[in-house]
Amino acid sequence: MRTFLILTVDGVTSGFIYAMVALALVMIWRATRVINYAQGAMAMFTTYVALFAIQHRVTYWLAFVIALGAGFVFGAGVERLLVRPIEGRAPLNMVILTLGLLILLEAVAPMLFGGDVKSFPAPFSRIDITAGATQLYVSPFDIFVIAAALLVMLLLLVFFQRTTIGLRMRAAAFRPEIARLLGIRVGRMLTLGWGLAAVLGALAGVLIAPGIFLYPNNMDEALVFGFTGAILGGLDSPVGAVTGAIVVGLVLSYVGGYLGSDLETVGGLVMLIAVLMVRPQGLFAFHRQRQA
Amino acid sequence: MRNPLLRHATVCVALAVVLVLLTYVFDAFTDYKIAGVAIFFIAAAGLTVLTGVNGQLSLGHGALMAIGAYTTSLLLKEQPQLPMILPLLAAIVSTGVAGAVIGVAAARLRGPYLAGATLALAVGLPQVAVHYGSVFGGNQGLPVPVPTPPSALGGDFPNERWLAWIAIAAALITLFLLANLVSGATGARLRAVADDEAAASLAGINVARIQVLAFVVSAACAGLAGSLFAYWVGLTAPSGFGLSVSLQLLSAIVIGGLGSLSGAVLGSFLVVMAPFTISDLAGNLNLSSDVANNLPLALYGVVLIVTMLAFPRGIQGALFSLWRLAKRNLRRPQAPTVSTTA
Amino acid sequence: MLEVDDLTVAYGGVVALNGVSLQVPEASITTVLGANGAGKTTLVRAISGLVAARGGSVRVDGTALTGMAPERIARLGVAHVPEGHGVISELSTEENLRLGCLWLGGANDRRAATEEAYELFPPLAARRRLPAANLSGGERQMLSIARALAARPRVLLLDEPSLGLAAVILAQIMQRLRELARSRNLAVLLIEQNARSALSVADEAVVLSLGSVVARDRAERLARDESLRHAYLGF
Ligand SMILES: Nc1ncnc2c1ncn2[C@@H]1O[C@H](COP(=O)(O)OP(=O)(O)OP(=O)(O)O)[C@@H](O)[C@H]1O
Ligand SMILES: [Mg+2]
Repeated sequence: MRTFLILTVDGVTSGFIYAMVALALVMIWRATRVINYAQGAMAMFTTYVALFAIQHRVTYWLAFVIALGAGFVFGAGVERLLVRPIEGRAPLNMVILTLGLLILLEAVAPMLFGGDVKSFPAPFSRIDITAGATQLYVSPFDIFVIAAALLVMLLLLVFFQRTTIGLRMRAAAFRPEIARLLGIRVGRMLTLGWGLAAVLGALAGVLIAPGIFLYPNNMDEALVFGFTGAILGGLDSPVGAVTGAIVVGLVLSYVGGYLGSDLETVGGLVMLIAVLMVRPQGLFAFHRQRQA
Repeated sequence: MRNPLLRHATVCVALAVVLVLLTYVFDAFTDYKIAGVAIFFIAAAGLTVLTGVNGQLSLGHGALMAIGAYTTSLLLKEQPQLPMILPLLAAIVSTGVAGAVIGVAAARLRGPYLAGATLALAVGLPQVAVHYGSVFGGNQGLPVPVPTPPSALGGDFPNERWLAWIAIAAALITLFLLANLVSGATGARLRAVADDEAAASLAGINVARIQVLAFVVSAACAGLAGSLFAYWVGLTAPSGFGLSVSLQLLSAIVIGGLGSLSGAVLGSFLVVMAPFTISDLAGNLNLSSDVANNLPLALYGVVLIVTMLAFPRGIQGALFSLWRLAKRNLRRPQAPTVSTTA
Repeated sequence: MLEVDDLTVAYGGVVALNGVSLQVPEASITTVLGANGAGKTTLVRAISGLVAARGGSVRVDGTALTGMAPERIARLGVAHVPEGHGVISELSTEENLRLGCLWLGGANDRRAATEEAYELFPPLAARRRLPAANLSGGERQMLSIARALAARPRVLLLDEPSLGLAAVILAQIMQRLRELARSRNLAVLLIEQNARSALSVADEAVVLSLGSVVARDRAERLARDESLRHAYLGF
């Protein structure tokens, strides 16, 4: 029981981090029909920026904000400078482009910041809370991670569902040509979307680093598992992506805890294949009603 | 030469002669690199058929190479004296079977769903070798004996040259077979499915079967390459088949020119040779190890990005456009340059 | 006032629109008729900037639109109901309408504009929260027109709004359109296959064939021209 609780808390915590990556991937996929394979590497980079700031006597919270801001600029810049010029070409071009960016970032980061494994500070204790004599298996930092992820997801939900600019972004994502006829600058909406997605990624990067340390490809697994979660849920469904990613976090945690930590990725693979064989478009895929 | 079979055979034989002669010209280390290019090409050519011709994106070809490499290494662990051809064939068969299984699953998946599944394969499969360490040697991996040249070639015949010959032979046989496959009726079907599945299906093509076929062919190539790779490195370990191998393969076929086997040759040459050259260069420049070690990768990322932005049809496409431009300008030296660009 | 002058559009080598000129004065409806492939859709897409013109000009109240991006043209007061309605089916009825009036001054104006839309097309009011995907074909067509009107445009381009609408509904919508053109000083360009109903509401009519204007006249006169009807309009 004790093991189960520990594994569950671990799984949920990392699940929420994967969920942010998954959500970033889905946001971009819905708007641009691109999987941004560099999403993780971009987050790694902004985490290095935050660490750089911290090493130069910037407080943790300011560095935190700097990372998110850098993420926005980074994401928007990638859309403008790299993605925009090849919009509309064969999908494989976009795949190679973002993979190229992934490779480039993972090579440039050690050149700039050093290739060694670095520790990254956590703003709250990572030691489990005890209430009286009973251990709770959850640390203040775990709570912070989950709360931050939930808050950001809530903010995004409000942003997309309740604000005009969110509505414009959705229109631009679903029907770009119609959106233009309604006066919406679709290009700007895409840039904004990439920027916001990268903010999510940057948040994931800063939240995951205290646990797994910071090194040039420290986000590879988060990308793969976030992507796995997004696929499980169905790439067009934000709710599905979050759910899928949390399931991935839990399954990996249980597999790692009960069967051996080497088997985590294998567990992810088996689960993904099993789900895709039953539902090739993910669990939350919906057929557009009344339209082909 | 009208007959493509004859033409492909002639090209391959000519290439064989030239390459074998070259292995005599160069030193052993260069022969070793040539072997590397040939091995890499085999896998890249297979991926060309799957991704370039048939339009199925695989981010997990490194895992298929791992299957070939482990088949070979396990066989050699039991029977170290086995003649080399047997482990090679065993690797082709085992990976081909794995390819069929994966292909059946993949035929149901499209776009990013297929990419994600193959990505998970690339990341997940090598971990099996870690977990079952008693069989697969864990993180340390399994050693592979160096293939020694037959004594008939003389006592001082370098091992590297012998391996280069084998790799070249395997690469050219692969090239010959794939060139025939791609230029024939099956090739047309592979392309038809890539262009428009619905139309291909209406034209009577069994889309799923063609997609599985592409996966099997491609996997068999990856298996052969993986097996040779094990000999080339002398060791089969999970770290040798990380995601980066899959990405390098994909890069090679795109940089060279997607969908063409000659593009795969070009791309393989660049992807294998560039790190050596750049490391030498970086070594001469007295750079810190963090910079020097990562310079090849950085350049490689830049090349991928620039290729996609400026030459989406790869080096081959770029050369081809250049050639056409040159020809036009040579023919009509007085032609106004402004209007021709429109 | 919408003025199209000598407009030429080509897709690659195929000339789809060949020197078309027409004017739509304020508070009036001009219908453009023609067979499939005549270039009607191309004409409205060129006006709203979705396809680039090879030559000629488009003006709205004297402002030249040539070379402008569609989103700018839309903000200048040109509303376009595209062929096949162009409702965004993933969004609700209300959200579609809100997208129509993005550029109206204040929040009150925007609310008034959506409420007007519901008054104009009462069936939509009961479906505010429903995803547009769940509307019937006719309702979607209404929503599309309502969305365009919510922008309070000066020029309204309608590309085959009759598609999928029952005759009764169509007649109602056409009647409303006529009133609205008058009351709001709208210049309406109405593309139609269904020549009979279009001619019954339009003031002016233009017949396109193979990208060129082959006839133009007052609508009621054109409707009486038997030879023209037989040659181009099929009734
Ligand atoms: N994107 C395009 N690319 C190439 N040709 C096009 C394109 N769009 C239209 N055309 C061609 O231009 C011509 C005019 O097409 P258009 O869509 O304007 O006709 P239309 O009058 O609206 O026909 P319909 O009544 O069927 O809607 C046709 O010959 C069509 O094939
Ligand atoms: Mg039309």
